Amino acid sequence: MSFDDMLTDLQAREEKARAMGGPERLAKREARGVMNARSRIDAFIDPGSWVETGLLAVSSMVPEDRDKTPADGKVAGFATMGGRRVGVVANDFTTKGASSSSTNMKKIGHVKRIATERGFPLVFFGESSGARMPDNMGAKGMGLNLGHDPQQYVRNRETPWASAVLGQCYGSSAWYTCMSDFAVFRKGAIMAVASPGLASFAIGQEIDAEGLGGWKLHERITGLIDRVVESDEEAIEEIKTFLSYMPSHCNELPPVAAVPAGSDDAAARILDILPESRKRGYDVRKIINCIADTDSFYEFKPRFGRTVAVGLARVGGKTVGFVASNPMGKAGALDVAGCEKATRFTVMCDSFNIPLILLVDTPGFVIGVEGEKQKAPGKIMNFMQALQMCTVPKLSVVMRKTYGQAYLNMGGGRNSDDIAAWPTAEISFMDPHFATEIVTWDQDASEEKKSEIREQMEKDNSAYELAEIFGVQAVISPADTRRYLLQQLDIHQLRLTGGIGKHRMSAWPTTY
Amino acid sequence: MATTEVLSEVIGSVWRVEKSQGDSVAEGEVIMILESMKMEIPVEAPVTGTLSEIKVAPEGSVDEDQVLCLIES
Repeated sequence: MSFDDMLTDLQAREEKARAMGGPERLAKREARGVMNARSRIDAFIDPGSWVETGLLAVSSMVPEDRDKTPADGKVAGFATMGGRRVGVVANDFTTKGASSSSTNMKKIGHVKRIATERGFPLVFFGESSGARMPDNMGAKGMGLNLGHDPQQYVRNRETPWASAVLGQCYGSSAWYTCMSDFAVFRKGAIMAVASPGLASFAIGQEIDAEGLGGWKLHERITGLIDRVVESDEEAIEEIKTFLSYMPSHCNELPPVAAVPAGSDDAAARILDILPESRKRGYDVRKIINCIADTDSFYEFKPRFGRTVAVGLARVGGKTVGFVASNPMGKAGALDVAGCEKATRFTVMCDSFNIPLILLVDTPGFVIGVEGEKQKAPGKIMNFMQALQMCTVPKLSVVMRKTYGQAYLNMGGGRNSDDIAAWPTAEISFMDPHFATEIVTWDQDASEEKKSEIREQMEKDNSAYELAEIFGVQAVISPADTRRYLLQQLDIHQLRLTGGIGKHRMSAWPTTY
Repeated sequence: MATTEVLSEVIGSVWRVEKSQGDSVAEGEVIMILESMKMEIPVEAPVTGTLSEIKVAPEGSVDEDQVLCLIES
């Protein structure tokens, strides 16, 4: 074969591999407004930056699949996004449902290893039918394919991972989503252990795909995803936004952005949002928006665990993580979902050198049998342990109520590097109204007696009482909160390590 | 003309309805106040428009994500 013929042959092989499952299947997706694996990558990365790995890989277990498995159904490689290096794996559903095979799992493993060892984020565009059959069947299927990589599910959070759930995601694409630091979900996609068909066949459960693993389930009940979008394009933009807050790896500081003009002005509006009545709820996200750089608050899991709002933001151009009680949800009383959400977010921030800001207005933990059935004490302690093991700067602002163990979970005591309280703060073991009822329980106490006891219970619970014993380091006007945080973030920089924390929870689970 | 559903953030009950069907509301204006966990939870208009329907009444119970009212904008 001449050189020309050899090069023509190489080109033909590459073109065939890039054609995925063929024009007909691709056209059907396009007609439905669904992008394909390669167009997703193109929309995500900087133009011309794609370096593919394993383009000519094919199925290696079933000889007749050899010519029907371009790139073996998973497109993998490296690129830059916004000028920063990233690793990408995109499932090509038009090729055997992007099912996991011996060859393509090696491709994923390769990109994962390189991204981890060389220090850049890893992005998954998930849409996979699960393990390929019959490849994975039998002892040889299991022994040679699944379980062949002892590092496959190791996550030490060396670099950020982001996943998009863009179609049906069973098996590996669900696993990688759950192992990621950030997951975005397109409406209409499904994420589950196995398909509704298998659920019906194996256990007789009749349920449609949406019910088994649709966006409402994951957004509101499981909390396994962070954001929900309408289209592939939006999902891609969400991952870009997430990564814009993140360092490329755990030994680097997050990128610094320019501070938008007017960012210092909004804090003056906090008192327009905070109600004068202690019984009136408010949306803490509006307070965060007054404190953070303009339009920088990027919320995670907005409809899951709504007793607490968490999200990345910037203060003075630098990335911070907010963990804020939200009195709009269960009066801000932390429930199991709220604890899970706060724990996961705290671990992620600590792993990537992102300081934490806790905004506190919580009457305690949600009590009752529902929480106990969901292991509430364990969830509370997970959150508490996470906060105490954090080595990034932790700053706490007590806005209003902070009671009991929740006082500690939200940074009270010595659980923050610095605590400020607004004059509206109340600190105690329990809400005085509940405390009065508890101590008069089973007694025939008159209203007058209760009122007397309540007055006693309300004593010594002000911000000033706490300031007198140095339980808070400052009492500040709400309008000074941004200035206070800017000062404290500067004071508490980890100068001895160049801003790098100890990452003691980097190997903690990615879901709870 | 778009219809916006205003959803309840909480499980609780309707304490007070501040607006009536047909009223104009500005974004951020309080439409009603719910009661949950002994707290008053204001329900604010997410968009500026006209309240085309109020689906709940005082003392009625509400679920999380229940549609409370509709705004035409």
